[in-house]
Amino acid sequence: MNSEKIKLVWLELNGCSGNIISLLNGSEPSFQYMITEMVDLVYDQALIPCEGERAMDVLFQVMDQEFILAVEGAVATKNNGRYQIIGSWQGTEITGLDAVRMLGEKAVHVIAVGACSSHGGVSAGSPNPSQCVSVDSLLNRRVINLPGCPCHPDWFLSTLEYLLNYGEPELDAEGRPVFLYGITIHQRCERRSYFDQGVFATELGEATCMFRLGCKGPITPIDCPIRKWNDRVSWPVQANTPCIGCAQFGFPDRMEPFITFRNMEPEQVRQPNPAELQRGGALNE
Amino acid sequence: MSERIVVNPVTRISGFMEIEAIVEQHKVVDAKVKGLMFRGFELMLKGRDPLDAIYYTERICGICSTAHGLASTIALEQALGVIPTEQGRYLRDFMHGAEFLQNHLRHFYQFVVPDYVKLPGQVCTVFESPFSDMRIPKEKNDLIAQHYFDSLNVSREAHEMIAVLGGKAPHTHGIFVGGATTQATADKIVQLKNMLTDVARFIEEVTIPDVGIIAQYYPEYYHNGQSYGNLLSYGCFDNYPSLGTLYLDPMIAVDGEIRALDKSRITEEIDYSWYTDQLDAYSPMETIPVDDRNKPDAYSFIKSVKSENLPFECGPLARQWLSGAYRHGISTMDRIVARIYEAKKITEILRTLIDNMDLYAASQSEYEIPVSSSGAGLIDTTRGALGHWLKIENQLLSFYQVITPSVWNLSSRANDGRPGTGERALIGAEIQDEENPVELARIIRSFDPCVSCATHVYYPDKAPKFITIVP
Repeated sequence: MNSEKIKLVWLELNGCSGNIISLLNGSEPSFQYMITEMVDLVYDQALIPCEGERAMDVLFQVMDQEFILAVEGAVATKNNGRYQIIGSWQGTEITGLDAVRMLGEKAVHVIAVGACSSHGGVSAGSPNPSQCVSVDSLLNRRVINLPGCPCHPDWFLSTLEYLLNYGEPELDAEGRPVFLYGITIHQRCERRSYFDQGVFATELGEATCMFRLGCKGPITPIDCPIRKWNDRVSWPVQANTPCIGCAQFGFPDRMEPFITFRNMEPEQVRQPNPAELQRGGALNE
Repeated sequence: MSERIVVNPVTRISGFMEIEAIVEQHKVVDAKVKGLMFRGFELMLKGRDPLDAIYYTERICGICSTAHGLASTIALEQALGVIPTEQGRYLRDFMHGAEFLQNHLRHFYQFVVPDYVKLPGQVCTVFESPFSDMRIPKEKNDLIAQHYFDSLNVSREAHEMIAVLGGKAPHTHGIFVGGATTQATADKIVQLKNMLTDVARFIEEVTIPDVGIIAQYYPEYYHNGQSYGNLLSYGCFDNYPSLGTLYLDPMIAVDGEIRALDKSRITEEIDYSWYTDQLDAYSPMETIPVDDRNKPDAYSFIKSVKSENLPFECGPLARQWLSGAYRHGISTMDRIVARIYEAKKITEILRTLIDNMDLYAASQSEYEIPVSSSGAGLIDTTRGALGHWLKIENQLLSFYQVITPSVWNLSSRANDGRPGTGERALIGAEIQDEENPVELARIIRSFDPCVSCATHVYYPDKAPKFITIVP
């Protein structure tokens, strides 16, 4: 029954809704499994049948109970948050900024789902017109960051499983679960043998290493090569395109150009140092 | 005496929106649709590497990311002087079509169905619905409620079709200048045919009957939500060198007369939206207004867009009407029904595309960025007419304009004060119970809004008093 499961609030802020869409694409574990067996989903603006003040009532009534808060989208801070308003409650406009502060302090766990909530992401792309920031920059507490654009449903649901049954997973200095974000794409890439032999693609569509086309696999710690996407049918490298570092801090600004025909030299490749792994970093400095 | 009703948030849409309606004797006499969220992609794109626009603009929308990638690619192809191969177009248009299927199924089951069908509240708290106007008999209701959950497996499979060719979805990788980055192979073809067959069967055997049941029990929704009646499409699945047009060419309907679209006559206006500029009306390549949340008399982050100085409706109903496939009417329910009929049509188009794919046809080469150039990518996508306009200076983006389908459908007032298309659709609607005005969001949801906005409903049983009486 609903009362036996911990409550989950999915709070959507300044972003693209891509992370809830990605979660609905989950397959073993699926979204249906999550809502029937794992948690009592209380609020998500994209799914909740009720609207207006009643929806806001549902959102804020949860504050008296135990709940996990998942946030997608960045927090717009321009004009005191008035660049993104999630609704109106008891006659007052509620900004995303208000909601993160109110709910974020009371939640048992806070999970930042996707690039924007983890570190600002595309919503905070230069010159950051709506002055977007990450969730953890506004809260004086631990936030679990799951960067990725979008977040893979498995990353979120396995983190949730960890929290429900095994406590808090080991996190790196940036709040990312080590069991997901510990090894770079480059270390496990299916095209690694081409890299080692110096066989490089010069245009998209070729089956060899795309480092010279700008691949960010060497500086992006995440498990895409073995996890794959959308029921595991493929992933960007398998589709003949470079990794663009969407699961690394600093995406998108520090990951550009995503694709280049300027032909980088292989000796420019090196393993990133730990600081780069934490906050992204240019590949060819 | 009139009452002011405000719905905030309008849930089950993409983004955040408020509806404000003035109601007299159970009838909406005026309405405003307000988008209350802003990120400023056009400002962000300036100075970036032109080719990065494809993946960057996908992030405008997690629901229709493939559409933005495609519009950006078409604009870049024009700027770079690249003509995509026909085989490359089949592959990327297949991805785009798969997005239509995923979007239409998710919109119908996850966004529209809860307006008319009671979902099982015992599954989790989020599904406890407060609506009273639930008319479908229990047996049929529960069947559609079950399909709400079954459909997730099918819409997921539609997204998997994108991933087979594009690596992942949303925010796919496979669409690029020249066509697509992947090639058709026998293993991909049979995988896609299997997925397409599953999705097509569900639409025919489950979704079309479901939408029929809803339409049967809510007949007055064929009479509310009427817009100006002007329809517009940029065309899609069109103008293939050897296959011709599989869906429709760019066209408009004005006062019942159908004619070709003149793309040079599109303009935006900003008197009633939170932007300022030296011009308050301009063509897409002219200027990018700057956000100004404190501008007097403005009420929305959604600008106003026109063609030939007229407001238009775009989307599945417009396309079905313009192509001659569906001409029952222009209303809330017609939009919902036409969207599902279009989904069936898209499965047929995708079947044609896949049957014409050549194995191993490659479409990529090395691209050189011109020092100075410009391009426009206008394409009809899930929700309607999507335009990207860009300029390149010193091999970097110097200008980027995006006008989305939801700007057409949910425009703020034009500079002459004429309501936007969605606002017009609300005016005249009967509101049975002003304390529970379900009609307002049902009407607006039929457009499949993709905005970032916020809204609120005022309930009289809560303090402070929510219904404002306008003398």
